[in-house]
Amino acid sequence: MIRILTNGAGLIFMKIGIHAQEGVEDIIARKKREYEQAGMIFWGYGGNTCHPTTFIQPFAKTQAEHQAQVFLMMHKMTSNHNADPVSAKQYSEDGIEWKPIPEGIQVVGSRYAMVIGNLTEEQFDLNLRNLVVAMGPKRGALGTDYIQGHVDKGCFEYHERAETPEETELKHIDLYSPLKPPYAVFLK
Amino acid sequence: MAMLNREIMNAVSDIIMNRPLPIREVDQIYMKAGDLALQSFFIGQRFRDLDVVFIGDGDAVALSTMYLFHCDLLDVAPKSIHLLDFDERIVNSVIRFADKYRFTNRISASLYNVIDPLPSTHQRRYDAFYTNPPWGASNEGESVKAFVERGIQATRDHNAQGAIVIGDDPALVWTQEVLHVIQEASLGEDFIVSEMVPAVHNYHLDDAPHLRSCNCLVRRARQRTGTYSSEALSPDRYARFYGRNNPLRIRYIREELSLNVGRAVDQTYKLEFLEGKS
Repeated sequence: MIRILTNGAGLIFMKIGIHAQEGVEDIIARKKREYEQAGMIFWGYGGNTCHPTTFIQPFAKTQAEHQAQVFLMMHKMTSNHNADPVSAKQYSEDGIEWKPIPEGIQVVGSRYAMVIGNLTEEQFDLNLRNLVVAMGPKRGALGTDYIQGHVDKGCFEYHERAETPEETELKHIDLYSPLKPPYAVFLK
Repeated sequence: MAMLNREIMNAVSDIIMNRPLPIREVDQIYMKAGDLALQSFFIGQRFRDLDVVFIGDGDAVALSTMYLFHCDLLDVAPKSIHLLDFDERIVNSVIRFADKYRFTNRISASLYNVIDPLPSTHQRRYDAFYTNPPWGASNEGESVKAFVERGIQATRDHNAQGAIVIGDDPALVWTQEVLHVIQEASLGEDFIVSEMVPAVHNYHLDDAPHLRSCNCLVRRARQRTGTYSSEALSPDRYARFYGRNNPLRIRYIREELSLNVGRAVDQTYKLEFLEGKS
């Protein structure tokens, strides 16, 4: 993990839980099978703080220009998400040109999906005070000032700072995965 | 507790019901109702009896200002407003609303994208411009500069004014950098800052609900001399229009014509009838 969390590294922090009436452990097992079959995973999500074309794609492309890999880091939480488990039939990189969902991929109850590689289940703590918002109107704010209320995900750069323990705000990371081009897509 | 003015709130409610739903892909993030009402008063007073051009206006400040004046809820207002916007839904919503309430003599709208040269019919024609553009969080203010330049091109050679509405939060470094860039660019066009109302408007912005914008008013300090040409935006300028690796890709947002304007889209619901009543 130390290898991934270097200063300036790009990451997407996301809280995960029950989604479209499916438990998180079931989702993880299903997504691992998805990777075996399709060589990639569509990780469904919603909300505007990680919009595919205005946040995720520009963020990941900018990191890629510097030969840097963006990782999706996920924190399990207790939650309810009772959206209907409607499966997406098409995806689009730009919201204009639509293609059928690739063979072996199933993504339900989501407007968007991040395109990721295999999931690594490894547990470690991430200090939100070491995260700086990298995209959007709160660019430059600390992760602690951003991940609050209904904001449960975002694009960040990692910048480690020396602090006394009481100034930290640790979030337990349960699994992570590298983003793969096109990084994020629209679904319908 | 502050007194509510029912007539003003109801008039602003009419405006909000008329606003097309925002498209986040093109940075349409709308001003909240109370601030829309206050901004209408502010613009009514500052641009009293002037011919004003709005360079983009998803918030509907132009329509709100003129409608409140039409309803005798504002004492003063611009003489006229013309809205230029690249979203046909917004252009049509202004035209339809003004026609419905019979004040087309005070407000008009047409389709225009700041990527294109300003049409000659709009050059040097107005007393003042107003713009609330994409705020340039990740492009060092490039998008704001593009909108402000069009506003300046649309205003007269002397005594011109402008209102620039952009992000303003001293805790967010980028907002202060963009303010600096824009004031510098305005000075380069012989406009000086005449008034600054910091951190005053709130928006329906889910990832930054407390981020506000300011009213930065500018006015021409030196008369424009000679000729100028309004050029298309160069590709290197719109390559970062919405931020790094996020170029301007859309010339116009076209309205899908519907007989259901202002009502719920019928694909979003279904009716379950009482037995025997279908």
